[in-house]
Amino acid sequence: MNIRIGHLYPDLLNLYGDRGNIRCMMKRLSWRGIDAELVEYKLNDKVNFNDCDIFLLGGGSDREQKLVCKELSSIKKDFKKYVEDMGVVIAICGGYQLLGAYYQMDDESVEGLELVDLYTVQGEGRLIGNITIKSDLFDMPITGFENHGGRTTLGEGVTPLGKVVNGFGNDGNSGYEGVIYKNVIGTYLHGPLLPKNPQVCDYILAKSLSKKYGKDIILDPLDDSAEDRANNYSQALN
Amino acid sequence: MSLRKTLAILLSKIINRISILLGKQGVTFCGKLALKLCPDILRDLSSQVREGIFVTCGTNGKTTTNNMLNSFLKSEGKKTVCNMTGSNMLNGVVAAFVLSASLGGKLDADYAVIEIDEASTLRVFPHFKPDYMLLTNLFRDQLDRYGEIDITIDILLRALELCPDCKIIANADDVLCASLAKKSGHDFITFGINEPCKANPASTSEIREGAFCQFCGERLDYDFYHFSQLGSYHCPKCGYKRPLINYNATDISLKNGLSFKVVGSDNNERALSSNYRGFYNIYNILAAFSAASETGLELKNIDAILKSFKPENGRMESFKIGECNVLLNLAKNPAGFNQNISAVMEDDSPKDLVVVINDNAQDGKDISWLWDVDFERFSGANVKSIIVSGLRAYDMELRFKYSDIKAKAVINIEDGIKELLTGHTNNLYVLVNYTALYNTRKWLKSMED
Ligand SMILES: [Zn+2]
Repeated sequence: MNIRIGHLYPDLLNLYGDRGNIRCMMKRLSWRGIDAELVEYKLNDKVNFNDCDIFLLGGGSDREQKLVCKELSSIKKDFKKYVEDMGVVIAICGGYQLLGAYYQMDDESVEGLELVDLYTVQGEGRLIGNITIKSDLFDMPITGFENHGGRTTLGEGVTPLGKVVNGFGNDGNSGYEGVIYKNVIGTYLHGPLLPKNPQVCDYILAKSLSKKYGKDIILDPLDDSAEDRANNYSQALN
Repeated sequence: MSLRKTLAILLSKIINRISILLGKQGVTFCGKLALKLCPDILRDLSSQVREGIFVTCGTNGKTTTNNMLNSFLKSEGKKTVCNMTGSNMLNGVVAAFVLSASLGGKLDADYAVIEIDEASTLRVFPHFKPDYMLLTNLFRDQLDRYGEIDITIDILLRALELCPDCKIIANADDVLCASLAKKSGHDFITFGINEPCKANPASTSEIREGAFCQFCGERLDYDFYHFSQLGSYHCPKCGYKRPLINYNATDISLKNGLSFKVVGSDNNERALSSNYRGFYNIYNILAAFSAASETGLELKNIDAILKSFKPENGRMESFKIGECNVLLNLAKNPAGFNQNISAVMEDDSPKDLVVVINDNAQDGKDISWLWDVDFERFSGANVKSIIVSGLRAYDMELRFKYSDIKAKAVINIEDGIKELLTGHTNNLYVLVNYTALYNTRKWLKSMED
């Protein structure tokens, strides 16, 4: 078996160690004997959504996000089709914000990809700190670090990724964090997200394999004792 | 002569003495107190400096470069004021001056050689206007990730407006430093390494930030890299390119320390060699040399200084504990860590390694930057065993696991180091981030006796 991972604009959207997420997916595939391949799409590269089984959209600074935004309008339609066809996407921080309709900053509004019904508005001060959330998808809590000025509001009936155990989450008020829509996961959690949260990584990998090979694929278990230690430690931080 | 001034100086000296006796860092407290008692004290004392004030700014290498410049000037018989310990915010700068002054409020100094935290320049420059600003490099730091480097550049530009006559001595190979110097409109000169260096082929796997033109926003093209974003660049759109290098390092050798030639834009040559290690130290030496040359001094004694230099403050500082040679080195951010890895790799003999990662406020609470460091390179570095330690040892353990490198987590730093002191290679590298440095260094020193 083989999985191709597309990293969108790593030269601009790599503020929070997002290459750690890529590395985590690649290793957890190869440790199971599944071939993994990385395709990096830089600004101005043509993205063909049929070429990859997972796309990762990371976070950048506001300035970098504005630069990417221009590019996004050209891939919007194809990206939408990929998502509606159950394509797998993991979007983090700035990338999460770009999934929605727009990101309203103080002085201007950045248009989003409109893949998921959500929008983001810049708030007073940044929401910064360690964060732990509980998702119905997993027994193990998801834990990491958040650092965002935007407050994200989900549309009616849109499912959040989890409930905030400690930290701020989508907007610091709702008690919810992230979003899950079809096979798209969006979240403010970095740290990076996947190495300490192997349950999320394996969920994404299983979804992409199942879609690609047209059957339910259950991944072999790995020795995750180091991952569990880091996850537990991070949960205890405030 | 005001009573408050005398009192400020006296109390600072007493507190500093007590702190030293107690083995504590009291420098910033001295500065705070002195400024409170006598708000004018920094302006007063700095105005007594006879020949010139240097300030050193930049993300990495500040302390090393600044202290080296200080030694260079002293070796020419000059009297100096210097914040040697690296306390580089307003209070630390105040303390350096106050502790050098006499109780009568007199300062006997030809030069002040002061490193300043970039964000603190705006608070310091209202007190004195430097004659020279030495800019080492501007890397994205783990602390200001979200704020980006753009904010640091903006602060430095505003601070430079406060001292229009300040001459900038900038790293030409760093596009951010060179662009900043140009943008400021100040008089500036540069140092750098004009040609690719054969002794230090740049790592191809190193993760680089996309570099964009500071003048038109276009992505920059690089002809080559030395490391991180340092190299030769040009903008394909507006034509901005690396400026002419006034002090150029050539003929670089990394064998048995560092040696190279500095060729000035006047074609004068000067061979330098030192027992420093690590390619990045060429930039530090070059920066200090360029700054010292600007004074017009002959610099006839600096060879001895470079050769006898004993690194301190955990910058490649060595300890001998029993049979084991321990080398302690600080790294605060991805660029610093990547350079440290290169320095470890310059030693091809068998070695052991301890990596200590804390996440206190001064380290940055967010440790995701660990994944921007090329730890994979250790797999080719003849490292026999690795222990990861500090508050975020488990994150570091994972970082190694996902590089297919075996490492064991021992949260307590002393326990971690002890495990590799005996019965191993007797060649131990200890890499620490900021808040782990002080206690680790103190403990290593105590083990030496
Ligand atoms: Zn340009």
